[in-house]
Amino acid sequence: MIRQLRVPGPIADVEEVRVLQWHAAEGERVEADALVVELETHKAVVEVRAGRAAWLRRRLCAEGEWQVLGAPLALLSDDAAETLPEDAATAAEWPVAFEVI
Amino acid sequence: MPPEAPATRRFFREAIARALREEMRRDPSLLLLGQDIGAFGGPYRDFEGLLAEFGPARVRDTPVAEAAMVGLGVGAAAAGARTLVAITYMDFLMPALDPLVNYAAKLRFKTAGQLAAPVVVKTTAGAKGQGVAHSQCLEAWLMNVPGLAVVAPSSPGDAYGLLKTALRAPGPVVFVDHKRLFPMAGPVPDAEAAIPFGLAAIRRAGRDVTLATHGWMTHPTLAAAASLAEAGISAEVVELRSLAPLDIETLAASAARTGALVAVEEGQLPCGVGAEIAFRVRECVPALAVARVGARPVPVSSNPVLEAASLPDAPRIAAAARRLLRPSAGETA
Repeated sequence: MIRQLRVPGPIADVEEVRVLQWHAAEGERVEADALVVELETHKAVVEVRAGRAAWLRRRLCAEGEWQVLGAPLALLSDDAAETLPEDAATAAEWPVAFEVI
Repeated sequence: MPPEAPATRRFFREAIARALREEMRRDPSLLLLGQDIGAFGGPYRDFEGLLAEFGPARVRDTPVAEAAMVGLGVGAAAAGARTLVAITYMDFLMPALDPLVNYAAKLRFKTAGQLAAPVVVKTTAGAKGQGVAHSQCLEAWLMNVPGLAVVAPSSPGDAYGLLKTALRAPGPVVFVDHKRLFPMAGPVPDAEAAIPFGLAAIRRAGRDVTLATHGWMTHPTLAAAASLAEAGISAEVVELRSLAPLDIETLAASAARTGALVAVEEGQLPCGVGAEIAFRVRECVPALAVARVGARPVPVSSNPVLEAASLPDAPRIAAAARRLLRPSAGETA
């Protein structure tokens, strides 16, 4: 199954974030609870961790790029070779845990 | 800046920090004074990285003593340095008005130009859940002082450009930002650029009514203009950017085209920014219909419901414009 990583929320006062650092490469398997990406808000960093294991297939935002809350950051799949859809919005949401630090 | 100038999206705090960093590099005499601006990086991270680059002699953490902070900043500026004093909340500028008003703003006049105090007081105005004494917009008080420049940006790009000009100005400047601006991001020009004082900006073109505003209120005012457009009313939004000096020419030209002016501010109405601009624009456009929107005559409450009720918002601004254009509509703002 194809899944999308979205900017998690809600986060008080935050409407958009900037991608600070990816911690998984395209093609890499991400285990549950692993740190996937750090996002920067106007005053804090948001650590986003995998809610379940998956393969990170395509990053949709590079480090330094902006995205609004709820919008897609990456596509993942349960199996390594699944065909990715043209439209990220059709993918199911990938569960994540996030912490504002 | 011309709209086609290459720009990068930045947080509001980053625009502030960049202007400070560039001007610290340009002018070795520039000192920064403020609470938590050193290792902590500023109350909004707006001084981040400056202590590491310029050291504790030029980036000075101060005690909670605003009169002493501004007194020190003004004195050092009069003695040949250039200073920026960060007063975290504008409410706390009150104990520091004596050195700012009686000394800094008057120095060039009383020494026949032999001395000047190139000091910038950077302060954060506005209501955002912090109650009676941490929420006020007092810029109208400062507009009343000859010799004092007052600027109030609404975007990262303007904050960068206006702060650059402030840090090169010959005399005292109060740079007023707003708590609600810090969560914002927006384009900041890649090339070094300063925005001159005294230039308003037309943020939205319109035919029927001019909405004049500054600082954070620019955003609710633009939302009001969008809702007026849905009702068939074309509102022009003029953002002052600089309150002293004031760009009456741009405002009057807009008001002459539309025939109606609504002055919007977050602060109190009596003797406020709106009172001043309404009078001065009417001197240029005598038949002008004018209205003001501002805070209701109460302190800003710690209660979020009462805070919101006391302040202008997009529906109140739009209602004031509709009432001005159609007095018989009978709506109350």
